[in-house]
Amino acid sequence: MSHAQTPHARRSHPDRGHPDTLHAADTADGDTPGAPAPGTSDLGDRIDVGLQRILKRETRSSRAGMAGLAAALVIAACVYALLESALRAIGQPPWLIDPQTAAERLTALPGGTSPLLLGALGGVVAMVGLIFFLNAVLPGRKSRHLLRDPRAGVVVDDEVIASALARAARTAANVTQEQVMVVVSQRLVVVNVRPTSGVPLREERILAAVEDELQRMAPSPMPSVRVNVATSGVIGA
Amino acid sequence: MNGTPHVLNRILIGILGLKLLAIGILLMLLATVPAVGRWWQGWSTGLWEHAKYLSEQTRIPGREESWLWIAAAAVLVVLIVLMVAWVSQQGKGRANLIVSEYDDARTPGDVNIGGNLAEQALKAALAERADLAGVTVATYEVNGRPGLRVRVQPRQGVSPHLLAADVSRLVEALDLVVGRKTPVLIHIGAGARTRFSKAERVR
Repeated sequence: MSHAQTPHARRSHPDRGHPDTLHAADTADGDTPGAPAPGTSDLGDRIDVGLQRILKRETRSSRAGMAGLAAALVIAACVYALLESALRAIGQPPWLIDPQTAAERLTALPGGTSPLLLGALGGVVAMVGLIFFLNAVLPGRKSRHLLRDPRAGVVVDDEVIASALARAARTAANVTQEQVMVVVSQRLVVVNVRPTSGVPLREERILAAVEDELQRMAPSPMPSVRVNVATSGVIGA
Repeated sequence: MNGTPHVLNRILIGILGLKLLAIGILLMLLATVPAVGRWWQGWSTGLWEHAKYLSEQTRIPGREESWLWIAAAAVLVVLIVLMVAWVSQQGKGRANLIVSEYDDARTPGDVNIGGNLAEQALKAALAERADLAGVTVATYEVNGRPGLRVRVQPRQGVSPHLLAADVSRLVEALDLVVGRKTPVLIHIGAGARTRFSKAERVR
C-alpha cells in the first residue's frame, strides 16, 4: 500500500520480529518511549556518523562560488569556440577571428605582438590560474568552531564567539562596548582593551572573565586567551 | 549540510587553475625568453601541420570540410552540458519530508511528515526571543536521510552555548512530537543583521 511519491520510505517487513523490544536498551536514550518504531536499533549510531560528516563539511568551504565561476569561464570559452567554428562551417565571415587564422597566429607567437602585451596577458592569465589553483589546494577552513551538544551538532561562527567574549571582557573591565575588541582565530583569542583614562584596569580580572566564559562555552578546538591593555586611555567614556 | 560536491569542486577547480597557470607562464616565457619562442614555433608548427594533414584525410566525401569540425563541435557541446550539470550540483539536497514511514504492523498505510512541520514549529518557538535577529530552518537530505538545519543569528554578546542548549531542548521537544530522531545541525552565525543591531544587554 505504498505510494509512488515516497521513494525514501524505509520499508521493514512485519515478519521480522519485534526489533523495538529486542533493542529497547539501545533506543532508550534515543527514541520516545511511546513510539519506538522498527528498524531504529542502529539509528543513534548512524545519526552520530552522519553528524560527524556534516560537521566536518560545515567547517570547510564548499567552494561553490569558485566552482560556478570556473564553470562560467569554461562555458564562455566553449560557446565562443562553437560560434566561430559554426560560422566557418557554414561559410560565413568570422565574428572576431577565424579558427585557422587563430591557429596560424598562435604558432607564430612571439612574433606579431608586442612582448609587453604578451607578457602582461600571460601574467594576468597565470594570476587567475594561481587563484583557482590555490583555492582548490588550500584547506579552505571556515572561521567556525564546534560546540558539544548531546542532541544536535552545533557550529558557531567565530564572530559570535568574539562578541560573547567581548561582552564578558566589557563587564569585567567596566568599560563601554567600543573600548573592547576581540579577535577569535582557530587557536587564539586576542582581547584588546582600551581603558578609560584615569581608571586603572586589572588585566587578570579580564583574563579570568574571558577564560571563564570560554570554559563554559567549550568550543572545539579550544583557543588560548591573550589580553592586551592599551597604554593610552579613552577620555570621557 | 547540503549536497555540494566538495571533492569534485576541488578537483575541477584545481585542474582549471593548473591549466590557466601553465598557459600564463608559457605566454610570459614567450614574451621574455627568445629560446622558448624558437622552441614553441618549431613545436606548434609541427602540430599544426599534423592537424592540417589529419583534416585533409578526414574530409567528408563530396565536400570541402572535414568531419573533424563536427566532432570538435560535439565535444564542445558535451563540455558545456557537463559544466551546466556541475553547476546544478551546487547547493542541492533540499528535502520535503522529515519522516516517511511504511509499517503495516501497527498502522496500515504510510506515515509522511512534511519538513514544513519542523520548520514552522522551530521558527514559531524561537520567534519571540529578543536576543535573536533571525532564524531559518530548512530540511536537507543527508546520506539519503532527512536532516534539519537550524540557522540562528543571535544579537551581539549572546553566549552561543546557552543559545545552543535552548535550541537543542526545542529539538528534543520536536523529537517527542514527531516520534523520530532526525540529524540536526544548529548553526549559530553572524551576518549583516547581527552586525548592525544593538548589543543584547538584558536577557
